[in-house]
Amino acid sequence: MTEPPQTAEPSPPSGAAPAPGPAPGVTADGGPSPQAPAAVRRRAVLAGTAVSVLLILAIVFGSRLLRDFDSALLPYAVATVFLAFGVAYRYTVWISAPGARRLFRQGWRSFFSAANFRRAPTALPRMIATYLGFQKFLGARSHARWAAHQLLFWGCLLAAAITFPLTWGWFTFTSATGSGPGYEMRIWGFEIIGFDALGFLGWLMFHGLDIAAVLVIAGAAYFLWRRMKDRGAITGQRFAYDLVPLIALVVISVTGLLLTFSSIFLHGGGYQFLAVLHMVSVVFTLIYIPFGKFFHIVQRPAAVGMQLFKYTSRRTGEGEGEVLVCRRCHEPIDTAPYVANLRGTMRDLDLGFDEWAEYCPRCKRVLRGAAYLDHVKKGFK
Amino acid sequence: MMGRTIFIDPGRCIGCQACVSACRECDSHRGKSMIHLDYPDEGHSVASLPTVCMHCEDPVAPCAEVCPADAILVTADGVVQQADTTRCIGCANCVNACPFGVPKIDLQAKLQMKCNLCYDRTAYGLAPMCATVCPTGALFYGTLDELRAERPGVQVADSFTFGTTTVSTGVAMVVPADKVRWPVPGGLPVVEINGRDVR
Repeated sequence: MTEPPQTAEPSPPSGAAPAPGPAPGVTADGGPSPQAPAAVRRRAVLAGTAVSVLLILAIVFGSRLLRDFDSALLPYAVATVFLAFGVAYRYTVWISAPGARRLFRQGWRSFFSAANFRRAPTALPRMIATYLGFQKFLGARSHARWAAHQLLFWGCLLAAAITFPLTWGWFTFTSATGSGPGYEMRIWGFEIIGFDALGFLGWLMFHGLDIAAVLVIAGAAYFLWRRMKDRGAITGQRFAYDLVPLIALVVISVTGLLLTFSSIFLHGGGYQFLAVLHMVSVVFTLIYIPFGKFFHIVQRPAAVGMQLFKYTSRRTGEGEGEVLVCRRCHEPIDTAPYVANLRGTMRDLDLGFDEWAEYCPRCKRVLRGAAYLDHVKKGFK
Repeated sequence: MMGRTIFIDPGRCIGCQACVSACRECDSHRGKSMIHLDYPDEGHSVASLPTVCMHCEDPVAPCAEVCPADAILVTADGVVQQADTTRCIGCANCVNACPFGVPKIDLQAKLQMKCNLCYDRTAYGLAPMCATVCPTGALFYGTLDELRAERPGVQVADSFTFGTTTVSTGVAMVVPADKVRWPVPGGLPVVEINGRDVR
Protein backbone atom coordinates (compact mmCIF):
# COMPACT_ATOMS: atom_id res chain seq x y z
CA MET A 1 0.00 0.00 0.00
CA THR A 2 1.69 3.16 -1.11
CA GLU A 3 -1.09 5.72 -0.85
CA PRO A 4 -3.24 6.48 2.18
CA PRO A 5 -6.71 5.10 1.44
CA GLN A 6 -9.18 7.75 0.40
CA THR A 7 -12.15 6.00 1.96
CA ALA A 8 -12.88 5.00 5.51
CA GLU A 9 -12.30 1.39 4.57
CA PRO A 10 -8.68 0.36 4.56
CA SER A 11 -7.81 -1.90 1.71
CA PRO A 12 -7.86 -5.45 2.91
CA PRO A 13 -4.58 -7.25 3.16
CA SER A 14 -3.69 -8.90 -0.06
CA GLY A 15 -4.48 -12.55 0.02
CA ALA A 16 -1.76 -13.09 -2.51
CA ALA A 17 0.88 -11.75 -0.15
CA PRO A 18 3.58 -14.36 0.24
CA ALA A 19 3.41 -16.23 3.48
CA PRO A 20 6.21 -15.32 5.84
CA GLY A 21 9.03 -17.74 5.46
CA PRO A 22 12.72 -17.88 5.05
CA ALA A 23 12.39 -16.40 1.59
CA PRO A 24 15.40 -15.13 -0.26
CA GLY A 25 15.92 -11.46 0.48
CA VAL A 26 15.51 -8.75 -2.06
CA THR A 27 19.02 -7.67 -1.26
CA ALA A 28 19.84 -11.09 0.05
CA ASP A 29 23.33 -11.58 -1.25
CA GLY A 30 24.19 -8.02 -0.39
CA GLY A 31 25.46 -7.74 -3.91
CA PRO A 32 25.22 -4.60 -5.96
CA SER A 33 21.64 -3.58 -6.47
CA PRO A 34 20.48 -4.40 -9.99
CA GLN A 35 19.01 -0.89 -10.01
CA ALA A 36 22.40 0.80 -9.63
CA PRO A 37 22.24 3.80 -11.97
CA ALA A 38 24.05 3.47 -15.30
CA ALA A 39 26.52 6.22 -14.35
CA VAL A 40 27.48 4.34 -11.19
CA ARG A 41 27.86 1.09 -13.12
CA ARG A 42 30.11 2.82 -15.66
CA ARG A 43 32.22 4.30 -12.88
CA ALA A 44 32.42 0.89 -11.23
CA VAL A 45 33.54 -0.80 -14.45
CA LEU A 46 36.18 1.89 -14.91
CA ALA A 47 37.43 1.47 -11.35
CA GLY A 48 37.47 -2.31 -11.73
CA THR A 49 39.38 -2.13 -14.99
CA ALA A 50 41.90 0.36 -13.63
CA VAL A 51 42.62 -1.74 -10.54
CA SER A 52 42.92 -4.93 -12.59
CA VAL A 53 45.35 -3.29 -15.03
CA LEU A 54 47.40 -1.96 -12.11
CA LEU A 55 47.54 -5.43 -10.58
CA ILE A 56 48.61 -7.00 -13.89
CA LEU A 57 51.39 -4.39 -14.19
CA ALA A 58 52.41 -5.06 -10.58
CA ILE A 59 52.55 -8.78 -11.34
CA VAL A 60 54.61 -8.25 -14.50
CA PHE A 61 57.11 -5.85 -12.91
CA GLY A 62 57.10 -7.51 -9.47
CA SER A 63 58.04 -10.83 -11.01
CA ARG A 64 60.89 -9.13 -12.87
CA LEU A 65 59.12 -9.24 -16.27
CA LEU A 66 57.69 -12.70 -15.45
CA ARG A 67 61.18 -14.17 -14.90
CA ASP A 68 60.14 -15.21 -11.36
CA PHE A 69 56.54 -15.99 -12.31
CA ASP A 70 55.54 -19.59 -11.62
CA SER A 71 53.34 -20.65 -14.52
CA ALA A 72 51.93 -23.53 -12.45
CA LEU A 73 50.22 -20.86 -10.35
CA LEU A 74 48.71 -19.05 -13.33
CA PRO A 75 45.05 -19.89 -12.50
CA TYR A 76 45.50 -18.40 -9.03
CA ALA A 77 47.05 -15.22 -10.44
CA VAL A 78 44.22 -14.87 -12.98
CA ALA A 79 41.67 -15.35 -10.17
CA THR A 80 43.29 -12.54 -8.17
CA VAL A 81 42.90 -10.24 -11.17
CA PHE A 82 39.18 -11.11 -11.31
CA LEU A 83 39.06 -10.59 -7.56
CA ALA A 84 40.61 -7.13 -7.93
CA PHE A 85 38.04 -6.24 -10.59
CA GLY A 86 35.14 -7.53 -8.50
CA VAL A 87 36.22 -5.80 -5.32
CA ALA A 88 36.81 -2.46 -7.04
CA TYR A 89 33.47 -2.72 -8.90
CA ARG A 90 31.48 -3.63 -5.82
CA TYR A 91 33.30 -1.08 -3.66
CA THR A 92 32.48 1.70 -6.13
CA VAL A 93 28.81 0.73 -6.25
CA TRP A 94 28.75 0.48 -2.46
CA ILE A 95 30.23 3.91 -1.74
CA SER A 96 27.97 5.52 -4.35
CA ALA A 97 24.90 5.02 -2.15
CA PRO A 98 24.10 8.15 -0.09
CA GLY A 99 24.69 6.68 3.38
CA ALA A 100 28.02 5.11 2.54
CA ARG A 101 29.18 8.03 0.36
CA ARG A 102 28.78 10.63 3.09
CA LEU A 103 30.40 8.49 5.77
CA PHE A 104 33.20 7.55 3.36
CA ARG A 105 33.96 11.24 2.79
CA GLN A 106 33.81 12.11 6.47
CA GLY A 107 36.00 9.14 7.38
CA TRP A 108 38.72 10.05 4.91
CA ARG A 109 38.44 13.74 5.84
CA SER A 110 39.17 12.80 9.46
CA PHE A 111 41.94 10.48 8.30
CA PHE A 112 43.75 13.14 6.27
CA SER A 113 43.19 15.99 8.70
CA ALA A 114 46.57 17.17 10.03
CA ALA A 115 44.81 18.91 12.92
CA ASN A 116 43.15 15.65 13.95
CA PHE A 117 46.46 13.85 13.76
CA ARG A 118 48.15 16.43 15.98
CA ARG A 119 45.35 16.27 18.52
CA ALA A 120 45.13 12.49 18.70
CA PRO A 121 48.08 10.83 16.93
CA THR A 122 47.40 7.42 18.46
CA ALA A 123 43.67 7.32 17.73
CA LEU A 124 43.94 5.76 14.28
CA PRO A 125 46.47 3.00 15.04
CA ARG A 126 44.54 2.19 18.21
CA MET A 127 41.26 1.89 16.31
CA ILE A 128 42.86 -0.21 13.57
CA ALA A 129 44.24 -2.58 16.21
CA THR A 130 40.97 -2.86 18.15
CA TYR A 131 38.50 -2.96 15.25
CA LEU A 132 40.44 -4.68 12.50
CA GLY A 133 43.11 -6.68 14.32
CA PHE A 134 41.75 -7.89 17.63
CA GLN A 135 38.08 -7.18 16.87
CA LYS A 136 37.18 -6.37 20.45
CA PHE A 137 33.58 -5.65 19.47
CA LEU A 138 33.12 -9.34 18.66
CA GLY A 139 34.07 -10.19 22.24
CA ALA A 140 31.16 -8.06 23.40
CA ARG A 141 28.86 -10.17 21.23
CA SER A 142 30.19 -13.56 22.33
CA HIS A 143 33.57 -14.75 23.59
CA ALA A 144 33.37 -18.01 21.64
CA ARG A 145 32.56 -16.22 18.38
CA TRP A 146 35.40 -13.80 19.02
CA ALA A 147 37.87 -16.66 19.54
CA ALA A 148 36.68 -18.55 16.46
CA HIS A 149 36.72 -15.41 14.34
CA GLN A 150 40.27 -14.62 15.49
CA LEU A 151 41.36 -18.09 14.36
CA LEU A 152 39.69 -17.56 10.98
CA PHE A 153 41.02 -14.04 10.64
CA TRP A 154 44.66 -14.72 11.45
CA GLY A 155 44.60 -17.99 9.50
CA CYS A 156 43.24 -16.30 6.38
CA LEU A 157 45.59 -13.34 6.79
CA LEU A 158 48.62 -15.63 7.10
CA ALA A 159 47.51 -17.66 4.07
CA ALA A 160 46.91 -14.53 1.99
CA ALA A 161 50.26 -13.02 3.00
CA ILE A 162 52.03 -16.17 1.80
CA THR A 163 50.06 -17.13 -1.28
CA PHE A 164 49.24 -13.84 -2.97
CA PRO A 165 52.89 -12.74 -3.39
CA LEU A 166 53.82 -16.30 -4.37
CA THR A 167 51.24 -16.50 -7.14
CA TRP A 168 52.25 -13.05 -8.37
CA GLY A 169 55.88 -14.12 -8.60
CA TRP A 170 56.92 -11.58 -5.98
CA PHE A 171 58.37 -14.15 -3.56
CA THR A 172 61.03 -16.54 -4.76
CA PHE A 173 63.13 -19.07 -2.91
CA THR A 174 66.58 -19.68 -4.35
CA SER A 175 69.48 -21.81 -3.25
CA ALA A 176 73.11 -21.11 -4.08
CA THR A 177 73.91 -24.79 -3.63
CA GLY A 178 71.28 -26.10 -5.99
CA SER A 179 69.40 -28.53 -3.77
CA GLY A 180 69.76 -26.75 -0.43
CA PRO A 181 69.54 -26.95 2.50
CA GLY A 182 70.59 -23.29 2.47
CA TYR A 183 67.85 -21.15 0.95
CA GLU A 184 67.34 -17.44 0.39
CA MET A 185 63.95 -15.83 0.34
CA ARG A 186 63.69 -12.98 -2.16
CA ILE A 187 61.05 -10.32 -2.65
CA TRP A 188 61.06 -8.70 -6.10
CA GLY A 189 64.43 -10.29 -6.60
CA PHE A 190 66.00 -8.76 -3.48
CA GLU A 191 67.31 -11.15 -0.88
CA ILE A 192 65.44 -10.71 2.40
CA ILE A 193 66.47 -13.62 4.56
CA GLY A 194 68.61 -16.72 4.32
CA PHE A 195 67.63 -19.87 6.19
CA ASP A 196 68.31 -23.56 6.56
CA ALA A 197 65.46 -25.52 4.99
CA LEU A 198 65.94 -28.28 7.57
CA GLY A 199 65.94 -25.89 10.54
CA PHE A 200 63.00 -24.60 12.56
CA LEU A 201 62.69 -21.37 10.54
CA GLY A 202 62.77 -23.42 7.35
CA TRP A 203 60.04 -25.71 8.66
CA LEU A 204 57.93 -22.68 9.56
CA MET A 205 58.52 -21.13 6.13
CA PHE A 206 57.49 -24.24 4.26
CA HIS A 207 54.56 -25.11 6.54
CA GLY A 208 53.06 -21.64 6.96
CA LEU A 209 50.04 -22.63 4.92
CA ASP A 210 49.54 -25.82 6.95
CA ILE A 211 49.49 -23.74 10.13
CA ALA A 212 47.02 -21.34 8.50
CA ALA A 213 44.84 -24.29 7.44
CA VAL A 214 44.66 -25.64 11.00
CA LEU A 215 43.64 -22.21 12.34
CA VAL A 216 40.99 -21.80 9.63
CA ILE A 217 39.55 -25.31 10.07
CA ALA A 218 39.19 -24.77 13.82
CA GLY A 219 37.44 -21.41 13.36
CA ALA A 220 35.23 -22.50 10.46
CA ALA A 221 34.24 -25.72 12.24
CA TYR A 222 32.95 -23.72 15.21
CA PHE A 223 30.94 -21.42 12.96
CA LEU A 224 29.53 -24.36 10.99
CA TRP A 225 28.48 -26.03 14.23
CA ARG A 226 26.89 -22.77 15.36
CA ARG A 227 25.02 -22.41 12.07
CA MET A 228 23.49 -25.83 12.65
CA LYS A 229 22.76 -25.57 16.38
CA ASP A 230 22.24 -21.92 17.39
CA ARG A 231 18.61 -20.96 16.86
CA GLY A 232 19.52 -17.28 16.68
CA ALA A 233 22.02 -17.93 13.88
CA ILE A 234 19.61 -20.22 12.06
CA THR A 235 16.90 -17.51 11.95
CA GLY A 236 16.84 -16.21 8.39
CA GLN A 237 19.98 -18.17 7.52
CA ARG A 238 20.72 -18.48 3.80
CA PHE A 239 22.79 -21.28 2.34
CA ALA A 240 24.64 -19.24 -0.30
CA TYR A 241 25.32 -16.34 2.04
CA ASP A 242 25.97 -17.99 5.39
CA LEU A 243 27.12 -21.56 4.74
CA VAL A 244 28.92 -21.52 1.39
CA PRO A 245 31.76 -19.26 2.68
CA LEU A 246 32.41 -21.59 5.62
CA ILE A 247 32.28 -24.70 3.46
CA ALA A 248 34.63 -23.05 0.95
CA LEU A 249 37.15 -22.22 3.68
CA VAL A 250 37.04 -25.78 5.02
CA VAL A 251 37.45 -27.30 1.55
CA ILE A 252 40.42 -25.04 0.78
CA SER A 253 42.09 -25.85 4.08
CA VAL A 254 41.46 -29.59 3.98
CA THR A 255 42.63 -29.98 0.37
CA GLY A 256 45.67 -27.85 1.19
CA LEU A 257 46.55 -30.05 4.17
CA LEU A 258 46.01 -33.15 2.03
CA LEU A 259 48.62 -31.84 -0.41
CA THR A 260 51.14 -31.82 2.42
CA PHE A 261 49.92 -35.25 3.55
CA SER A 262 50.34 -36.58 0.02
CA SER A 263 53.88 -35.30 -0.34
CA ILE A 264 55.04 -36.52 3.09
CA PHE A 265 53.22 -39.82 3.50
CA LEU A 266 52.10 -40.90 0.03
CA HIS A 267 55.22 -39.94 -1.90
CA GLY A 268 53.07 -37.60 -3.97
CA GLY A 269 50.24 -40.08 -4.51
CA GLY A 270 47.10 -38.29 -5.71
CA TYR A 271 48.94 -34.98 -5.65
CA GLN A 272 47.82 -33.94 -9.14
CA PHE A 273 44.16 -34.54 -8.39
CA LEU A 274 44.35 -32.81 -5.00
CA ALA A 275 46.17 -29.85 -6.55
CA VAL A 276 43.37 -29.38 -9.08
CA LEU A 277 40.70 -29.72 -6.37
CA HIS A 278 42.53 -27.20 -4.20
CA MET A 279 42.97 -24.81 -7.10
CA VAL A 280 39.29 -24.99 -8.09
CA SER A 281 38.14 -24.29 -4.52
CA VAL A 282 40.53 -21.35 -4.14
CA VAL A 283 39.61 -19.83 -7.51
CA PHE A 284 35.91 -20.14 -6.74
CA THR A 285 36.38 -18.51 -3.32
CA LEU A 286 38.47 -15.64 -4.69
CA ILE A 287 35.84 -14.84 -7.29
CA TYR A 288 33.06 -15.17 -4.69
CA ILE A 289 34.68 -12.68 -2.27
CA PRO A 290 33.22 -9.45 -3.71
CA PHE A 291 29.67 -10.74 -3.94
CA GLY A 292 28.89 -12.60 -0.74
CA LYS A 293 29.59 -12.60 2.95
CA PHE A 294 33.32 -12.17 2.44
CA PHE A 295 32.71 -8.61 1.26
CA HIS A 296 32.61 -7.65 4.93
CA ILE A 297 36.41 -7.92 4.80
CA VAL A 298 36.37 -4.95 2.43
CA GLN A 299 33.59 -3.13 4.28
CA ARG A 300 34.84 -3.45 7.85
CA PRO A 301 37.45 -0.65 7.61
CA ALA A 302 34.43 1.67 7.27
CA ALA A 303 33.94 1.05 11.01
CA VAL A 304 37.32 2.68 11.63
CA GLY A 305 36.44 5.64 9.39
CA MET A 306 33.11 6.07 11.18
CA GLN A 307 34.65 5.84 14.64
CA LEU A 308 37.46 8.23 13.72
CA PHE A 309 34.89 10.72 12.42
CA LYS A 310 32.84 10.53 15.62
CA TYR A 311 35.91 10.52 17.87
CA THR A 312 37.59 13.51 16.28
CA SER A 313 34.39 15.54 16.09
CA ARG A 314 33.78 14.85 19.77
CA ARG A 315 37.30 15.95 20.70
CA THR A 316 37.04 19.04 18.53
CA GLY A 317 33.94 19.97 20.44
CA GLU A 318 35.40 19.58 23.90
CA GLY A 319 33.75 22.20 26.04
CA GLU A 320 31.88 23.58 23.07
CA GLY A 321 28.75 21.51 23.39
CA GLU A 322 29.47 19.60 20.20
CA VAL A 323 27.46 16.62 21.41
CA LEU A 324 23.94 17.17 20.23
CA VAL A 325 21.24 16.57 22.84
CA CYS A 326 17.64 15.57 22.26
CA ARG A 327 15.50 18.66 21.77
CA ARG A 328 12.92 17.31 24.19
CA CYS A 329 14.65 15.38 26.97
CA HIS A 330 18.20 16.74 26.54
CA GLU A 331 19.76 13.28 26.59
CA PRO A 332 22.84 13.14 24.34
CA ILE A 333 22.18 11.74 20.84
CA ASP A 334 25.56 11.91 19.13
CA THR A 335 28.12 14.45 17.96
CA ALA A 336 26.64 17.42 16.10
CA PRO A 337 28.67 16.75 12.91
CA TYR A 338 27.44 13.14 12.92
CA VAL A 339 23.79 14.19 13.22
CA ALA A 340 24.31 16.82 10.50
CA ASN A 341 25.83 14.09 8.32
CA LEU A 342 22.85 11.81 8.94
CA ARG A 343 20.37 14.59 8.18
CA GLY A 344 22.21 15.18 4.89
CA THR A 345 21.94 11.47 4.09
CA MET A 346 18.21 11.53 4.83
CA ARG A 347 17.72 14.57 2.59
CA ASP A 348 19.68 12.82 -0.18
CA LEU A 349 17.23 9.95 0.12
CA ASP A 350 14.16 12.23 0.11
CA LEU A 351 13.30 11.20 3.64
CA GLY A 352 11.55 14.45 4.50
CA PHE A 353 11.63 13.95 8.26
CA ASP A 354 15.34 14.59 8.87
CA GLU A 355 14.46 17.12 11.58
CA TRP A 356 13.28 14.09 13.57
CA ALA A 357 16.95 13.00 13.90
CA GLU A 358 17.37 15.68 16.57
CA TYR A 359 15.02 13.84 18.89
CA CYS A 360 16.07 10.70 20.74
CA PRO A 361 14.26 7.45 19.84
CA ARG A 362 12.30 7.42 23.09
CA CYS A 363 11.03 10.97 22.62
CA LYS A 364 9.98 10.13 19.06
CA ARG A 365 7.85 7.32 20.41
CA VAL A 366 6.44 9.40 23.25
CA LEU A 367 5.59 12.29 20.93
CA ARG A 368 3.91 9.90 18.51
CA GLY A 369 1.96 8.40 21.42
CA ALA A 370 0.97 11.87 22.55
CA ALA A 371 -0.19 12.78 19.03
CA TYR A 372 -2.25 9.58 18.87
CA LEU A 373 -3.67 10.39 22.30
CA ASP A 374 -4.57 13.94 21.29
CA HIS A 375 -5.76 13.52 17.73
CA VAL A 376 -6.74 9.94 17.06
CA LYS A 377 -8.03 8.25 20.15
CA LYS A 378 -8.67 10.82 22.83
CA GLY A 379 -7.57 9.29 26.09
CA PHE A 380 -6.95 5.99 24.27
CA LYS A 381 -10.65 5.24 24.80
CA MET B 1 0.24 -4.16 4.48
CA MET B 2 1.46 -7.67 4.90
CA GLY B 3 -0.97 -10.58 4.83
CA ARG B 4 -0.33 -11.56 8.42
CA THR B 5 0.95 -8.78 10.57
CA ILE B 6 0.78 -7.17 13.99
CA PHE B 7 -2.12 -4.83 14.78
CA ILE B 8 -1.43 -2.45 17.66
CA ASP B 9 -4.29 -1.05 19.71
CA PRO B 10 -2.86 1.36 22.32
CA GLY B 11 -6.38 1.74 23.75
CA ARG B 12 -6.21 -1.83 25.01
CA CYS B 13 -2.66 -1.60 26.42
CA ILE B 14 -2.51 -1.70 30.23
CA GLY B 15 1.27 -1.28 30.40
CA CYS B 16 1.81 -4.65 32.06
CA GLN B 17 5.18 -5.23 30.34
CA ALA B 18 4.34 -8.87 29.52
CA CYS B 19 5.35 -8.16 25.90
CA VAL B 20 8.66 -6.70 27.08
CA SER B 21 9.45 -9.85 29.05
CA ALA B 22 8.29 -12.22 26.30
CA CYS B 23 10.33 -10.39 23.67
CA ARG B 24 13.49 -11.35 25.54
CA GLU B 25 12.70 -14.98 24.81
CA CYS B 26 12.90 -14.51 21.05
CA ASP B 27 15.67 -16.71 19.69
CA SER B 28 17.11 -14.10 17.38
CA HIS B 29 17.99 -11.70 20.23
CA ARG B 30 17.91 -13.87 23.30
CA GLY B 31 18.01 -12.01 26.61
CA LYS B 32 17.36 -8.60 25.07
CA SER B 33 13.93 -7.11 24.65
CA MET B 34 13.33 -5.25 21.41
CA ILE B 35 9.79 -4.03 22.05
CA HIS B 36 9.34 -0.57 23.56
CA LEU B 37 6.65 0.33 26.04
CA ASP B 38 6.29 4.06 26.61
CA TYR B 39 4.00 6.23 28.67
CA PRO B 40 3.17 9.27 26.53
CA ASP B 41 1.52 11.27 29.29
CA GLU B 42 3.31 9.96 32.34
CA GLY B 43 2.07 11.34 35.63
CA HIS B 44 -1.25 12.40 34.19
CA SER B 45 -2.56 9.34 32.44
CA VAL B 46 -2.04 5.60 32.56
CA ALA B 47 -1.95 5.54 28.76
CA SER B 48 0.84 3.34 27.42
CA LEU B 49 2.07 2.68 23.91
CA PRO B 50 3.78 -0.51 22.79
CA THR B 51 6.10 -0.02 19.81
CA VAL B 52 7.32 -2.84 17.59
CA CYS B 53 9.12 -2.35 14.28
CA MET B 54 6.54 -1.02 11.85
CA HIS B 55 8.28 -2.64 8.84
CA CYS B 56 8.02 0.47 6.66
CA GLU B 57 6.96 -0.23 3.09
CA ASP B 58 6.98 3.20 1.47
CA PRO B 59 9.54 4.65 1.73
CA VAL B 60 10.83 1.14 2.17
CA ALA B 61 12.71 0.78 5.46
CA PRO B 62 14.37 4.20 6.06
CA CYS B 63 16.71 2.38 8.47
CA ALA B 64 17.99 0.20 5.62
CA GLU B 65 18.22 3.18 3.26
CA VAL B 66 20.50 5.20 5.55
CA CYS B 67 22.64 2.19 6.47
CA PRO B 68 26.15 2.81 5.12
CA ALA B 69 27.05 -0.89 5.28
CA ASP B 70 24.04 -2.46 3.51
CA ALA B 71 23.51 -4.36 6.74
CA ILE B 72 19.72 -4.29 6.95
CA LEU B 73 17.97 -6.82 4.79
CA VAL B 74 14.34 -6.55 3.73
CA THR B 75 13.11 -10.05 2.97
CA ALA B 76 10.72 -10.69 0.12
CA ASP B 77 7.83 -11.00 2.58
CA GLY B 78 8.34 -7.37 3.64
CA VAL B 79 10.00 -8.07 6.99
CA VAL B 80 12.79 -5.61 7.81
CA GLN B 81 15.39 -7.79 9.48
CA GLN B 82 17.79 -6.73 12.18
CA ALA B 83 21.31 -5.82 11.11
CA ASP B 84 23.52 -8.49 9.60
CA THR B 85 26.11 -9.13 12.30
CA THR B 86 28.97 -9.39 9.82
CA ARG B 87 28.21 -6.02 8.25
CA CYS B 88 26.84 -3.72 10.94
CA ILE B 89 29.50 -1.16 11.92
CA GLY B 90 27.49 0.28 14.79
CA CYS B 91 27.19 3.80 13.37
CA ALA B 92 23.64 4.30 14.73
CA ASN B 93 22.36 5.86 11.49
CA CYS B 94 19.34 3.56 11.62
CA VAL B 95 18.69 4.32 15.28
CA ASN B 96 18.44 8.04 14.65
CA ALA B 97 16.77 7.90 11.23
CA CYS B 98 13.90 5.55 12.15
CA PRO B 99 10.78 7.75 12.36
CA PHE B 100 9.23 5.41 14.93
CA GLY B 101 12.29 5.23 17.23
CA VAL B 102 12.57 1.45 16.98
CA PRO B 103 16.18 0.18 16.51
CA LYS B 104 18.45 -0.27 19.51
CA ILE B 105 22.22 -0.30 19.44
CA ASP B 106 24.88 -2.03 21.51
CA LEU B 107 27.83 0.34 21.31
CA GLN B 108 30.28 -2.17 22.80
CA ALA B 109 29.30 -4.89 20.34
CA LYS B 110 28.97 -2.35 17.49
CA LEU B 111 25.68 -3.93 16.61
CA GLN B 112 22.18 -2.73 15.90
CA MET B 113 19.27 -4.88 17.01
CA LYS B 114 15.60 -4.45 16.38
CA CYS B 115 12.26 -6.20 16.28
CA ASN B 116 12.23 -8.60 13.34
CA LEU B 117 8.62 -9.69 13.82
CA CYS B 118 10.01 -12.77 15.64
CA TYR B 119 11.20 -14.16 12.34
CA ASP B 120 12.21 -17.41 14.01
CA ARG B 121 8.52 -17.89 14.85
CA THR B 122 6.54 -16.08 12.14
CA ALA B 123 8.56 -17.85 9.42
CA TYR B 124 6.97 -21.05 10.72
CA GLY B 125 3.45 -19.70 11.14
CA LEU B 126 3.67 -18.92 14.87
CA ALA B 127 2.67 -15.55 16.32
CA PRO B 128 5.41 -13.24 17.63
CA MET B 129 6.21 -13.49 21.32
CA CYS B 130 4.64 -10.13 22.22
CA ALA B 131 1.30 -10.87 20.54
CA THR B 132 1.28 -14.37 22.05
CA VAL B 133 1.45 -13.12 25.63
CA CYS B 134 -0.48 -9.82 25.43
CA PRO B 135 -3.38 -10.32 27.87
CA THR B 136 -5.60 -7.58 26.44
CA GLY B 137 -5.15 -7.92 22.69
CA ALA B 138 -3.31 -4.62 22.41
CA LEU B 139 -0.91 -6.58 20.20
CA PHE B 140 -2.76 -8.85 17.79
CA TYR B 141 -1.10 -11.03 15.16
CA GLY B 142 -3.04 -12.26 12.16
CA THR B 143 -4.81 -11.01 9.07
CA LEU B 144 -7.25 -8.11 9.01
CA ASP B 145 -10.07 -10.59 8.50
CA GLU B 146 -9.02 -12.53 11.59
CA LEU B 147 -8.89 -9.27 13.57
CA ARG B 148 -12.36 -8.32 12.35
CA ALA B 149 -13.74 -11.74 13.18
CA GLU B 150 -12.80 -11.03 16.79
CA ARG B 151 -13.58 -7.31 16.77
CA PRO B 152 -16.37 -6.60 14.28
CA GLY B 153 -16.12 -3.30 12.45
CA VAL B 154 -12.64 -2.45 13.73
CA GLN B 155 -10.73 0.04 11.61
CA VAL B 156 -6.99 0.09 11.14
CA ALA B 157 -4.50 2.51 9.64
CA ASP B 158 -1.11 1.78 8.15
CA SER B 159 0.14 5.23 7.18
CA PHE B 160 1.70 7.84 9.40
CA THR B 161 2.71 11.45 8.75
CA PHE B 162 5.98 12.95 9.81
CA GLY B 163 5.92 16.57 8.70
CA THR B 164 5.20 16.49 5.00
CA THR B 165 6.18 12.85 4.58
CA THR B 166 3.79 9.94 4.79
CA VAL B 167 5.20 6.57 5.73
CA SER B 168 3.24 3.42 4.88
CA THR B 169 3.96 0.47 7.10
CA GLY B 170 3.58 -3.27 7.19
CA VAL B 171 2.37 -3.19 10.80
CA ALA B 172 -0.94 -1.39 11.41
CA MET B 173 -2.61 0.48 14.26
CA VAL B 174 -6.22 0.34 15.35
CA VAL B 175 -8.05 3.67 14.98
CA PRO B 176 -11.52 4.64 16.20
CA ALA B 177 -14.29 3.59 13.84
CA ASP B 178 -16.08 6.92 14.11
CA LYS B 179 -13.13 9.03 13.10
CA VAL B 180 -11.07 7.05 10.71
CA ARG B 181 -8.50 9.31 9.26
CA TRP B 182 -5.43 8.55 7.28
CA PRO B 183 -2.69 9.06 7.77
CA VAL B 184 -2.20 8.93 11.53
CA PRO B 185 -0.08 11.79 12.97
CA GLY B 186 3.43 10.55 13.78
CA GLY B 187 4.37 13.33 16.19
CA LEU B 188 6.25 15.58 13.75
CA PRO B 189 6.02 18.57 13.53
CA VAL B 190 6.39 18.81 17.25
CA VAL B 191 3.95 21.36 18.60
CA GLU B 192 4.48 21.06 22.29
CA ILE B 193 7.26 19.84 24.57
CA ASN B 194 6.69 19.37 28.28
CA GLY B 195 3.76 21.76 28.23
CA ARG B 196 5.66 24.42 26.29
CA ASP B 197 4.48 25.43 22.85
CA VAL B 198 7.42 25.04 20.45
CA ARG B 199 5.66 25.99 17.21
